Amino acid sequence: MPLDTSTYSLALLRVDGRRWNELRRLHAQIRTQDAADGSSYLEMGHTKVMCIVTGPSEQQQQRRGQTSQRDAAAINVNVVIAGFSSVDRKKSGRNDKRIQEIEVTIANALASNLHTHLFPHSSITISLHVLSQDGSLLAALLNATTLALIDAGIPMTDYIAACTAGSTSTYAAGDDSADPLLDLNNQEEQELPFLTVATLGDSDRIAVLVCESRVQVTRLEGMLVVGVDGCKQVKQFLDQVVREKGAEMVREGAVEKSDAMGMVLDE
Amino acid sequence: MPITVLQPQPAAKRQAAAMSVDSDSDSDSGGGAEVHGEDILTPGTVITSNSQWMRGHGTYVQPGETAITSSLAGTLTKTNKLLSVRPLRARYTPEIGDLVVGRIVEVQAKRWRVDVAASQLAILQISAINLPGGILRKRTETDELQIRSFFAEGDLVVAEVQQLHQDGAASLHTRSLKYGKLRNGVFVSVSGIGGGSGVVRAKRQVWTMDVANAGGKVDVLLGVNGYIWISKHIESDTNAEAVGINRMEESVSSKVYSSQNDPLELSTMREIARIRSVILALVENRLKVDEDMVTKGYSEAVELGRESPDDDLYLGGEKGQRLAAALTGH
Amino acid sequence: MPREAEPSLSERTFVTQALEEGLRVDGRKFDQFRSLELTFGDEYGVAEVKFGKTRVLAKVSAEVTVPYTDRPFDGVFTITSELSPMIAPSYEVNRPSMEEVLLSRLLEKTIRRSGALDTESLCLIAGQKCWSIRVDLHVLTHDGNLTDCACLAVVAALRHFRKPDSSIEGETLTIYTSAEREPVPLSWLHSPFCVTFSFFGEEGEQILVDTTWLEEQLRVSTCTYSINKHGELCQIAKFGGAALDAPLFIQCATGALNRSKELTDLVERKLADDAKRRDKGGFMAELTAENDR
Repeated sequence: MPLDTSTYSLALLRVDGRRWNELRRLHAQIRTQDAADGSSYLEMGHTKVMCIVTGPSEQQQQRRGQTSQRDAAAINVNVVIAGFSSVDRKKSGRNDKRIQEIEVTIANALASNLHTHLFPHSSITISLHVLSQDGSLLAALLNATTLALIDAGIPMTDYIAACTAGSTSTYAAGDDSADPLLDLNNQEEQELPFLTVATLGDSDRIAVLVCESRVQVTRLEGMLVVGVDGCKQVKQFLDQVVREKGAEMVREGAVEKSDAMGMVLDE
Repeated sequence: MPITVLQPQPAAKRQAAAMSVDSDSDSDSGGGAEVHGEDILTPGTVITSNSQWMRGHGTYVQPGETAITSSLAGTLTKTNKLLSVRPLRARYTPEIGDLVVGRIVEVQAKRWRVDVAASQLAILQISAINLPGGILRKRTETDELQIRSFFAEGDLVVAEVQQLHQDGAASLHTRSLKYGKLRNGVFVSVSGIGGGSGVVRAKRQVWTMDVANAGGKVDVLLGVNGYIWISKHIESDTNAEAVGINRMEESVSSKVYSSQNDPLELSTMREIARIRSVILALVENRLKVDEDMVTKGYSEAVELGRESPDDDLYLGGEKGQRLAAALTGH
Repeated sequence: MPREAEPSLSERTFVTQALEEGLRVDGRKFDQFRSLELTFGDEYGVAEVKFGKTRVLAKVSAEVTVPYTDRPFDGVFTITSELSPMIAPSYEVNRPSMEEVLLSRLLEKTIRRSGALDTESLCLIAGQKCWSIRVDLHVLTHDGNLTDCACLAVVAALRHFRKPDSSIEGETLTIYTSAEREPVPLSWLHSPFCVTFSFFGEEGEQILVDTTWLEEQLRVSTCTYSINKHGELCQIAKFGGAALDAPLFIQCATGALNRSKELTDLVERKLADDAKRRDKGGFMAELTAENDR
């Protein structure tokens, strides 16, 4: 079923009524799980994921094949995709290479962002649960992980915020009028070339870039620009969630207020 | 005090942004309850680019730059010239002198490894405990051989953080009558420091309270690490206060390392369970756990219990909210 | 399981400092590839690729099987890779390391999912019989840049492969031996090649191609492009690592395209050479009356 591109070129509206540069509805919560050191719940449209962080803590016996580092915390990522998360109820095995690839991507992205050297001999375990899938899965997982790690109070350089970007033309069509698209849903991901991009904080620096579909190299730049811009919007949103939670905690008297801010220190 | 003249600094990059933040904090300085999201630091937020400040915990300086940047979500603490970020929530980080409750997870040749909810296991050396046998003595090989007779895996201990190692691991000691193996009660774990629902460092972490319904006396022990022990109060044969410091070791009987509970009356057990419910209700309603809150919460809970015919101990959900409301006065 | 020893701190600082000064330990320029060797075996569908000390062998085989029920018009195409203890004792048999998983995923995305091989052409009788093409990839030695090397080997082997000719008359399917009919090449649509860039330095300012194993252990980040000579990207993989400025990726994509064109030419040239070599004993020999006396 090809995407009805004719409709798009007429009204410049996508299948779900968004314009090319619009994100889907974002919703996030932190501290959803009492037992965990850090936890989060994130929705990007209909993609819904949960993240639970345990650690940094010292493990009694290292699991086989898991590297224990002496001078920094090890990061273990587990992704569980629920059988009911997509239309076809397919049970994905433990050794699904696609999931393993996602796990490695998240672990590597975090390894260079977290200040793991502060926690020698210990390990940080991140469990991700996918409850519902509707495109931008890797991006949602990365965003949820960032929130949960902030909740766990693990020091990091900056936020890792991710989103997807696509292009309205398939690789075969050489039309130059193709628009880049932001934050694709499942239907669009099936039809159009897209890439997942994750940036560090407010900068233009890209931590993760994964493209799995065939696309003209000339389209790359447009997709990247839109993707990076989307990441900044996502970062703003994540930041807002953390700040609101923090303000709420300060109001409740759980955390003391800041001693001084901003200009006072710059004087 | 010497006066230093600082070099003029180039204008801060984020001056415009800083200005608005500043005006917010000014309005807050009166102690008003209004808090904005801007008062919270998040990872990647530049705290200051002024070089007169030193960076503390929760901050970092990007190589090649001078700006102190936050690496955590939390609030700012200023100690003289040291800037650090207090996290909204984090695992317990040991500090010297902390009273902690821990669980033995590993027994080694001359020491135990204790889980104290920190990022690393703490160490309890055999030389850092009071050995039984009455007199102050050196530890012998026999003691090392029967190390499990003092503490075995799974035992709960109350101890004090004696020193911190380079890598952040803590060493504990139990060289006081106040410390040692825990018996006659229940264990509760709440999340560590911060997070609004944890044990706060207070003047008194341990106290004995008289409980209602002829329950006798109950000891409550709030470990700074968020591990809590509630137990029946046992009167020691000789008053610990009266024993001189030199004779303190002598009163260490072999009973200290016993794993057998003393006889407990049902009424005491009920009240211990009630205190436990109170603590969990405090956590659930994001209130801090300290002596004041627990004792007040307990008397409220006793009142609440009288309402139901069979003196219900359960304090979850709506009941817990009522308790919290009574405590905060809302 | 013996763990691979990591480079010591002094080794690390030496290599990274040298790179900051613009020097690679093996004396190459940053954008210079190692000498590349591509040889075909006596059989059809065997290719061996050497990138410096990295050596990879790919072997293609074909058999007739039943197609998957959900895809009755498609043939079966699989790529299996094996990293055995032959490379280093730290690789275990039957226990795929993370590196191997990533490698096979990358090859799958580059070659299978990009539609380099026309799987519909492998169908013999819809829903009943089809060809199953299988590529076995063996890594013989590993001295860095395994993905590029493996991808080249697989593409070259598939291009070189000839499957037995077949015909269908009514309901009967006949597969001819190579003596009866000359085997036919696979229906090949485009040739994607992997080009991996490795980044060094705080900001990833030093970009290296065709890294050795030592360099790979020290890099801060890496990015693999799969691209064909027409400039069609098949996949991009930057799995975490240090964050890099966005324009770098555009710059690297251009580099990858140029390299891909070079590799395409190389494979074409080698295939032509091989065909000429084979022809000597075939058609040409029949024409000449000379005997090997």
